[in-house]
Amino acid sequence: MTNKRTITYQTIIYVVCILLSVIVLVPFIMMFVNSFKGIRESALFRISLPKKPTLTNYKTVLSKLYFWRGMRNSLILSISVTLLVNFTGAMAAFVIQRKNGILCKWTYYALFAGIIIPVSIIPTIQLMMQTRIHNTYIGLILFYTAVNLPFTVFLLTGFMKTIPKEIDEAAMIEGCGPFRMFVQLIIPLLKTPLVTSTIVTITAVWNDFSAPFYLISDSKKWPIVISVYNFVSQYYTDWGTVFAFMTLVLLPVIIVYGFLQRYIIAGLTTGAVKG
Amino acid sequence: MIKRNLQTRYPNWFLGPAIFLFGFLFVIPTLTSFYYSLTDWNINRRVITFVGLKNFKELFADIKFRATLSNTLIYSFSVTFARNFLGLLFAIMLNTAFLKGRNLFRVIVFLPYIIAPVVIGYLFTAIYHPVNGILNQTLTFFGLGFLAKDWLNDPSIALFSTIMTDVWRTTGFSMVIYLAGLQAIPHEYYESSDIDGANGFKKLIHITLPLLAPSITVNVVLALIGTMKVFVMILVLTNGGPGYATEVINTYIMSMFSLGLYGSGTAANIILSILIVIIGLPVLLILKKREVEL
Repeated sequence: MTNKRTITYQTIIYVVCILLSVIVLVPFIMMFVNSFKGIRESALFRISLPKKPTLTNYKTVLSKLYFWRGMRNSLILSISVTLLVNFTGAMAAFVIQRKNGILCKWTYYALFAGIIIPVSIIPTIQLMMQTRIHNTYIGLILFYTAVNLPFTVFLLTGFMKTIPKEIDEAAMIEGCGPFRMFVQLIIPLLKTPLVTSTIVTITAVWNDFSAPFYLISDSKKWPIVISVYNFVSQYYTDWGTVFAFMTLVLLPVIIVYGFLQRYIIAGLTTGAVKG
Repeated sequence: MIKRNLQTRYPNWFLGPAIFLFGFLFVIPTLTSFYYSLTDWNINRRVITFVGLKNFKELFADIKFRATLSNTLIYSFSVTFARNFLGLLFAIMLNTAFLKGRNLFRVIVFLPYIIAPVVIGYLFTAIYHPVNGILNQTLTFFGLGFLAKDWLNDPSIALFSTIMTDVWRTTGFSMVIYLAGLQAIPHEYYESSDIDGANGFKKLIHITLPLLAPSITVNVVLALIGTMKVFVMILVLTNGGPGYATEVINTYIMSMFSLGLYGSGTAANIILSILIVIIGLPVLLILKKREVEL
């Protein structure tokens, strides 16, 4: 009897899982099949193979300079922010965890507050204008670093606790200076949380909308997310082209996700749990 | 000698870059925002003057802002509740049964979480389309045509539609956290409760939920904080409309900013910060207390 019950239970769970997968995937499938349809057919949003498959939509998108520019800008932004956040975050976490000074404590508290409190966007714009970094890559990179640093420091400080102090002492006896010790000894030991921090930061910067929306007015400097927004407001009557644009934007993300899913899921969730 | 070494081993200047980066574009704007929120700073003024709590009084007197506040809270609580309830339910289901392809399922439901919300917003504008959208088409197909709605343009349902979109986007994330939490619970706990003759429901209440408390804490707090900051999803789906049926604090701040009302916009920002702290912090403390140490 129990056996029969487990089998029914398993079947129910299978059905639910398949149903859920369908609910998750339907929007993406709709986007994909309709990206090969003409303007009239794609406006019907049907999940059906195109009657007359066309690549015109893709040609339109790929001929747009701002598609390529958007991808390039997002890449530049997310990579430089990640490097900056990881390096300066690790330096800070190293000293915060090892030392018990007042400065360390207060830096840590301030950063912790930064995890919860939202940014004050209007004063930020004002400050960036006064310092002439509004509408520049450097400004956006500095802003993202400020916003993403707290989480990374928090994560790395937690992990630093598991690295025994004796290691530093041994290095110190060998006559190793603090910076060399940090670069050659501590950074390699922080590899695991640095991978997590990298995944969290890249995802956050790549997908963020509001910072460039407020801080960048020059269309040449827009990351891809703003290009999507702008493209749709221009082509909103031509869903086929919009879907082609979005497919091309999502393709690299989904490919990377496909290969690294184990690390990405673990990174984004354990990162959250530790934070 | 050793004392001197202790000092030099961990030099304070290591904190320098982080303090500079975080201080410059986060701490300074946050601190100055308190001042700006008390001024009449706007686009037409060269000289700004201190006006006390005038901005806050005006905001709370404004029907639109009051609606904005309640929309934000409804949005935040609903998404938090739904994604945790569903996430936990699916995680428990997935954890109890031996399932082939469990990882594939995990990968699929997590997928929306890594996609830019702006893209998801546009995909759902298509899905919610009153005539051709898949949602209404499917409802009609199953003979539920009476449930078909103009999801984003009907003021009574628009907020619900934006909530469902975010639930769709984030439930997988919550589920994965719960799944990890469930897998960390030792099997012996369930085995010994079997001997005591506990049923499935009792096991859920007395073993699973208490031991899952850390995951619940993380999930609930993250969801509350994240959803109160919602911006782009609303901007893309409804832009706060129809009327101000889906206006949330961050879209309100944007409209204040575009009107050049910088002082009021900053005041609204401060209200958002306070709201997040007074809701996020107690929830964190309450849930922390309930955690059982393994």
